[in-house]
Amino acid sequence: MYLLRLALASLNNRRFTAVLTVFAIALSVCLLLAVERVRSETRASFASTISGTDLIVGARSGSVNLLLYSVFRIGNATNNIRWESFEHFANHPRTSWAIPISLGDSHRGYRVMGTSQAYFEHYRYGRKQALRLAEGRPFGEDIFEVVLGAEVAKALNYTLDDQLVLAHGVATVSLVRHDDKPFRVTGILQRTGTPVDRTLHISLAGMEALHIDWQHGMPARGAARIDAEQARQLDLQPKQITAFLLGLDSRIATFTLQREINQHAGEPLLAVLPGVALQELWSLMGTAEKALFVVSLFVVFTGLIGMLTAILTSLAERRREMAILRSVGARPWHIAGLLVAEAFCLALAGVLFGLLLLYLAIAVAQSPMQSHYGLYLPLAWPSTYEWSLLGGILLAGLLMGAVPAWRAYRQSLADGLSIRS
Amino acid sequence: MRKAMPHLLLAALLALVAPLASAEVRELQWSDLIPQGAPPPPPPVALHDLSQLADALAAESGPVAPQQSPAEPVVEALDGIRARLPGYIVPLEISEEGRVTEFLLVPYFGACIHVPPPPSNQIVHATSELGVKMDALYQPFWIEGPLRVEHASSELAEAGYRMDAQKIRVYELE
Repeated sequence: MYLLRLALASLNNRRFTAVLTVFAIALSVCLLLAVERVRSETRASFASTISGTDLIVGARSGSVNLLLYSVFRIGNATNNIRWESFEHFANHPRTSWAIPISLGDSHRGYRVMGTSQAYFEHYRYGRKQALRLAEGRPFGEDIFEVVLGAEVAKALNYTLDDQLVLAHGVATVSLVRHDDKPFRVTGILQRTGTPVDRTLHISLAGMEALHIDWQHGMPARGAARIDAEQARQLDLQPKQITAFLLGLDSRIATFTLQREINQHAGEPLLAVLPGVALQELWSLMGTAEKALFVVSLFVVFTGLIGMLTAILTSLAERRREMAILRSVGARPWHIAGLLVAEAFCLALAGVLFGLLLLYLAIAVAQSPMQSHYGLYLPLAWPSTYEWSLLGGILLAGLLMGAVPAWRAYRQSLADGLSIRS
Repeated sequence: MRKAMPHLLLAALLALVAPLASAEVRELQWSDLIPQGAPPPPPPVALHDLSQLADALAAESGPVAPQQSPAEPVVEALDGIRARLPGYIVPLEISEEGRVTEFLLVPYFGACIHVPPPPSNQIVHATSELGVKMDALYQPFWIEGPLRVEHASSELAEAGYRMDAQKIRVYELE
């Protein structure tokens, strides 16, 4: 114990270097933990977004691409698919439910999704949890009704019965808006921690009505315009959708139906198993994750080397200190223990300060991360894996401390009390 | 040589395990899941008369035939036994910790394109309480647990095998 006290007192004497060393270690620890946190939370949020869906069907592209745009609202669809194809497979004997998805519009950076009532009934996230409304009801009676995700309502301060105007395209700042056909908020969903929170849900008929008077890729002008009231009278049967989700009556039938969809003669379609696509996505992201992890490990290593340098350089100027310690009866291994204790204290302080920095950073970045990237970083205790990383850093600090300890041990044996310089 | 390895390993394992736990876990081959008396699938008909080529090609572009009969016969005797079976995991449900908690076990990896998918009696629908962490889809696993055989009660119901995968181990070539 007195060794530790001595080490602390000695460090206090060199506070400036010590604080800098601790800070360097703290920054590196914070970086390592932040990378690990973001990695695990990204995976968790991806994994919890879709559950209970057997097949995702869309236009032909890649399985990861289809998964990303249909479920995670990342990137854009390659093409739409025909309504007949959806009907064909929605009425397939093996299908127990089908959710159509129509994408392409947005509201202040949040994606708009056209869908049907089946979405509220059958969509599952996390551990097979159903969507629940925090307020109001699903869209229904009127075509210009919208159900907001929790994040949309919170970030843009919408409440029930507010009117909002959707924009064409998916840019955050939209120049082309559907301002002749405002939508009314009828419901707000409970928070799910998935991209659903960042989505505005409208009916397929509503999606159709928005674009009913569009001609040649631009909104109609003058007399050709169809206002909201007229649109209500028209036949708003959609002709195409972007993708659909299928639930089957038996999971063993998944492959059979997948092949049937992929070979559908009506039009080229792609069906993917969400779990398989997710696994592919992860093996893709795995490389980048590993690279980041290795980089942050090296940063930690650099921090510890910095500590080692600081202690080693201090050794020369502390020969007198060591000599005095020896004169009052300290044995060489006491000197060595002193230095190991010093290194350990520095590493421990670095780790603790690094944790503090991490939690500060999370507290500050939490809400912008949530609204910009849909990534929720909880202020949770470190996981077992993170504890083991921290333990590893402390151990590395101890090992590093052994180097100056060994040198001091040798020196104090050789030098004894006679200092020549 | 390498191809023979799994069989050798299997045989060796069987020889080791059989006397010890013959009543307990039964190690299955995929072929054990097909009933002995099951009629073999009809062989593809060779096309000799080239004047019929057009018809054959037209059939290609027509609606796909139901690729396999949905309810292949199952071996009822396997119901309730504790089985061990090697195969590839096709993930269905993934937990937040990234563990696969529900999956289909199939005898070969990356099916589905050149040939029709495996018939329903060559797929085991497995659930796992704890889940399994997967690094790659092409990693084979041993799964072990009580096997249940589901009967085809109606024409549409899928018959097949279900397993509560209590033990999941990486399959290794040694």
